[in-house]
This record gives sequence, C-alpha cells and structure tokens, in this order.
Amino acid sequence: MFGELLAPRYLHWLFDGFLLTLGLSLLVCAVATGLGALLYLARTAPARWLSTPARLYVLVIRNTPLLVQLFFWYFGVTALLPEALVTWLNTPRSLALGPVSLDWPSFEFIAGFWGLTLYTTAFIAEELRAGIDSVRQEQRAAGLALGMRPAQVWRHVILPQGLRTALGPLLGQYMNAVKNTSLTMAIGLADLSYASRQVETETFKTFQAFGFATLLYVLSIAVIEAVGQLIQHSRHYRRGVA
Amino acid sequence: MKKLTALAALSLALLSGIAHADRLEDIKKAGVLRVAAFDSNPPFGFVDAKTHQIEGLDVDYAKAIAAKLGVKLQLQSTNPANRVPLLVSNKVDLVLANFTITPERAQQVNFSTPYFASGQQFIVKKGTLTSQDQLNTWRVGVDKGTTNEGVLREKFPGAKVVAYDDTPFAFTALRNGNVQAITQDGPKLIGLLANVPDRDKYEVPPFTISNDLIGVGLPKGETALTDFVNQTLVELEKDGQAQKIYDTWFGPQTSTPLARLFKIGDKS
Amino acid sequence: MDFSVIIDNLGYFTWGAYPDGPLGGAALTLLLSLLSGVAAGVLGLAWGIALVVSRGWLRWVLVGVLGFLRAIPVLMLMFWAYFLLPILFHVDVPALATVVCALSLIGGAYLAHGVAAGIGSLPAGQWAAAKALGLRPGQVLRLVILPQALPIMLPSFLNQWVSLIKDTSLAYVIGVGELSYVATQVSNRVMVHPVQIFLFVALVYFLFCSALQWLAHRLARRVPSRSHR
Repeated sequence: MFGELLAPRYLHWLFDGFLLTLGLSLLVCAVATGLGALLYLARTAPARWLSTPARLYVLVIRNTPLLVQLFFWYFGVTALLPEALVTWLNTPRSLALGPVSLDWPSFEFIAGFWGLTLYTTAFIAEELRAGIDSVRQEQRAAGLALGMRPAQVWRHVILPQGLRTALGPLLGQYMNAVKNTSLTMAIGLADLSYASRQVETETFKTFQAFGFATLLYVLSIAVIEAVGQLIQHSRHYRRGVA
Repeated sequence: MKKLTALAALSLALLSGIAHADRLEDIKKAGVLRVAAFDSNPPFGFVDAKTHQIEGLDVDYAKAIAAKLGVKLQLQSTNPANRVPLLVSNKVDLVLANFTITPERAQQVNFSTPYFASGQQFIVKKGTLTSQDQLNTWRVGVDKGTTNEGVLREKFPGAKVVAYDDTPFAFTALRNGNVQAITQDGPKLIGLLANVPDRDKYEVPPFTISNDLIGVGLPKGETALTDFVNQTLVELEKDGQAQKIYDTWFGPQTSTPLARLFKIGDKS
Repeated sequence: MDFSVIIDNLGYFTWGAYPDGPLGGAALTLLLSLLSGVAAGVLGLAWGIALVVSRGWLRWVLVGVLGFLRAIPVLMLMFWAYFLLPILFHVDVPALATVVCALSLIGGAYLAHGVAAGIGSLPAGQWAAAKALGLRPGQVLRLVILPQALPIMLPSFLNQWVSLIKDTSLAYVIGVGELSYVATQVSNRVMVHPVQIFLFVALVYFLFCSALQWLAHRLARRVPSRSHR
C-alpha cells in the first residue's frame, strides 16, 4: 500500500485536476482583485446608496461558509434561472484565438468561479481597506499642504503606501483562494481534490492519491509565499515602507 | 517499507501469543455492530422524516444481522464515496449500502454472498432520450465512488461525466438542466423518483447497461465474520424474512413495486 | 417561496436526531466550534510563545510545521485525519475528534503568528525591565508580557473563531452530522426546496458569526490602541 506508485493514467488525472485548480485560482484571484478594488471604493464612498449595500455584501459573504454558498449557487439558484439560460450556459462552444482555441468551461467551473470570486472579493476589499486605512492621516494632510490635488495625493502618497501594507494580507487571500478551490469538488468540478478521490476510488491507493494531491497544494502555496517574500525583500519595496 | 511492515506485523503476532483477535469476536465482546448505510437513497437507506432515524432495505438486513449476533446496531450514515474508506479505516464493521461486487473491490474488501441484484439504468427528462447513442454526446451525472462511473465511461466513452457526492445531488443537477441524464442502479432510481413531487416529468428508459450483484462489504481477511454474515443471509432467505424485507420496500403495496427476480443463493 | 420545509424540520436542523441519536445540526456546529476554538487558542498561544522564544533549527522546524498547516486545505487535512491515520498508525479517531483536531491544528497555526506578532509589538523595554527586576523567563511571560499582549490578540482570536465556525461546515465531507450535513440530508430527502434550505442554513451561520464579530469589535474598541509602527 505504501510503496507502489500510481499508474501514469492516474497521475494524468491528478495533473489535470491540478491544472484546473491552478487555472481556477488564477482566474478567481485576478477577477476578485479587480472587483475587490471596486467594492472597496463603493464601501468607502460617501454616498449611502453605495456604501450600505457594499457593507452588507461584505458582511453576509464573510459570515457564511463557502461550502453553503457554493451549494446555494449551484443547486439552489440554478433551479430559479430560466431554462434557456441554463441550456446556453451548458452548451459547449469554443473561441478560436489564432493557434489556440479556448473551450467554454463546464457549468460546474462557471458556478465554482462565480461562488469563489464573490467570496474572495469580499475579503480582498477588506484587506485593501485595512491597508489603506493604515496610512496615517498626516500623510494626506502633508500631501495637500505640499500643494497636491486630492487625486494626486491619492495616487502618489496614499495608494503606494497602502498597497505595500496590504500586500502581505492580499497574498494571504490568494493562498486562501487556492485552498478554497478544493471545495468545488462538492459541486462536481473535477479539481485536484476531486481527482484525488476519483483516483482513490479506482486504485484504492489512498495514501498515494491523497499524498500527491496534498503535496501539490502545499507546493502551490509555498510558491505564492516565496513570491511574496521576494517582493517584500526587494529594494523597491523596502524603500517604500514607512 | 514493505519488509518493515511485514516484520512489524510478524513480531506483533508473535508477541500477542494468541492468534490476532478476529472481528467477529471483537463485535461480540463490544456488544455493538457498526454498519455504514446510505442516508439519502430511498428505499435502501434514507432518513425517516418523523423519527430522524435511518431506515431502508439495507438497514433491515443490518438489523437482522445484529439481532442474530445478539448485539446492538450502530448505524453510520455514508455516501458512495466514503463507503470503502470507512471500512478500510476500521470505522465500521460492515457496509450495507447498495455495494456492488467487483473483482477490483474484492481485492480490498471481503464480500458476502449477494443479497440483491440490479442493473444500471438512467433517468432522463421525459421524451428526451430517443436512442441510446444520444448518451454518447450528453452530459451524464454519476455518483462518486460507484461502479456506475466506470461502466458509463466504458459503454459511452463520448459522454461527459460529472460526478456528485450522492444521487439526489445528481438528480438536482438533472432537474436544473446541468446534466441531461443520470445513471445509477435501477431500483435506486425508481426509489428516488417515487419521492419526487414532479416525477411525471422524468422517466427511466427500460434498458440496463450492466447487471450488478449487491453484497455486504466486510473488512478484508475477516473470514469468520464473512462466514457468519453469509450464513445469516442464507437463513433469512430460508425462513422467508428476506422476502418480507423485500416486500416492505419493493412489494406491490409500496410506491416502488418491483418484481423480485433474485433470491439470496441464486448464482446470478 | 415556500419555507414550510424549514419549519417542518426545524428541530432536526437545530439538534439533529438528539435525543434519539447523536447530537447534530446547529447545536453540533456550536459544540465543534467551541471545542476547536478553545483548543486552537491553547495551541496558538503555546506555538506563538515558542515562535518568540525558540532559536536556531528548532524555530525553523516550528516555522515549517506551521507553514504546512497553513498551506494544506482544511478538506485534505480532514481526509487525512479521518481515513488515513487509522490505516497508517492503527489509531482510531472518532469523527468528532477528527474535526476538532484538524480545525484546532489549523486554527492554532494561524493564531501562533498572531500571538507572536502581539508579543512582538510590546516594547523591548518590558522584557528588559522584567529581567532587571530578577524575574525568571517563565515569570516574565506570565506576569509581564502576556497580560499586556493578550488583550491586543483577543480580536484576532475571535476572528479566527469566526473562521472556525465556517470551517465546521467542511465536516460534511466525512459525514459528521453538523448543520451543513443535516441540511443537505433534508434537501436530498425533500428534493425541491434547495434554495430555501441553503438560505436558512446561511442565515444560521450568519447569525453565529456576526454575533462573534460584534463581540470582537466591542472588545477591540475597549483595548487602547498602540500607536507605534
């Protein structure tokens, strides 16, 4: 049970699952960062009609489990969508971009992406807020005193410092996103943890299947951590930290 | 690594003096029989709405075996994916969860003599499946950890397989339109439809793509326990209890009437 | 939208099959998060102090272990603890203990860094002064450092607890009858009301987590903030 390695076919399954996990994580992190920035702006907007829904969104999303949210979107909301839309979402199609053709992802991928992005966006918005709020008020006053316009103060004084402080926590959220993709196996998405269960079912090599999957997860996180450390120790970054 | 494990096992056996205690003895000593059964698959194993206890055909067999042993029955709810891990990691003594007998599984677990037979079938939305070949282009839902997935891939290699944690999830996906068909053992599908309010929208096409024998899953190498379970099952058939259990769930008075074609002891 | 399925099963959602069976539902969720929270707190404190006082290769081993615990998805750790530990080491761990162990190990790993940061945020003068007064290292920690550091760390403890409450939902994968598991069971039985059931479940978790967060917020405001960088 210990020593035998998995046959290439099963390693292939695990690798496919890993690629899907990576792809999903990348997509989620990219989109969630953008949306998180927008959400942050909405949350700190002076207009009540923007800030209140934003705060509510963050509150609800952060205080409910991701698993329940995924179930809600995939099994619950799908039942409420018009049938034509569901059929359209389920129809495979591909987009040809020169030599590469992008296939339309499966509905499970779409639902997983949707649920994960909504979840991660809320957390990223809060990390951005914490980072930018940590910039002392005096910085803003000093910038204005130097004759900069508010937009310039924002762009040259507050944002760079705020983002530097937020970098560590943001990377932490990206790492969480990678780990959270493991939950999509409950809605049928063939990610790495799903693949490890499939391999285990067929080969009964529990230790190897789960061991390999765990190793891949830990390596991915380690890479993000290493990238973070590199950035944080680079001269460019260190010069900016107050 | 293998040598070390063998050496360790040998020394343990020598040290213990007596032959290693076998599971049947352990169960009798502990006074409890731990059985894994389904909790979302009527009429094999499901949670009763009022008593909140797990009931079903598999549960009735488990109760009979526990009664024969003279011990208490402790049920552990499971889904198809967790059945084998529960058994192999010694969390349960028996698996009575619509467990299909296959040669691959027989290398990891012991099987009892079969107590149920069924064929793998499909549920589709009414009128959508006009020929079997359509399945080769469809998205089909299966349960993780079942033989159905393997058979589906073999018979319909073009089908896009989506695996869920349990049959009701797959059915919800069918209802929502995420898959166009789901596949499982025929009796399970019939049991599922009987409990669904909009059952008129679905149908089970009258063909099977496999013939499966269902047995009790036991820990590998536990011959005493396996023999005991086999004996119990044969006795249940002989004194008519097996038929009674069948009629309780699939008899003509139930919502899922199904003719009983397989009796315990039949060869196939 | 018909919410009668919630009313009909309210007892089951709240207690599981208790008293005719093991405790389940929301009550089990609370119990699991309470036990894991306390255990994670103890572990986090111990590891955090260890992070601050240990040196050399021991510290690196500790950093490695904590890093591993923070890198592994909770789902995978639960699989390992529940299904693989018994096979590897012939140790049978009941499902509840598995969940509490997995969650407290991971929670403790996150808290450890918070504790270390909290202790690190105290001025170095505190340590020096305490040692100058002749206190032994154990006494320094117990009488001087921790009483000042703990109030700073309390909000992060509570935030970790909020994560723990949400993570108990993952016990669903190993068949533990907490709220998410019970909800999917009912949904599988009733079949046609997934939206209502999952909305209700989300609401219950929301109430638990929000209550804790409000508490954390109140406590954070009471603690004087240390304005140093």
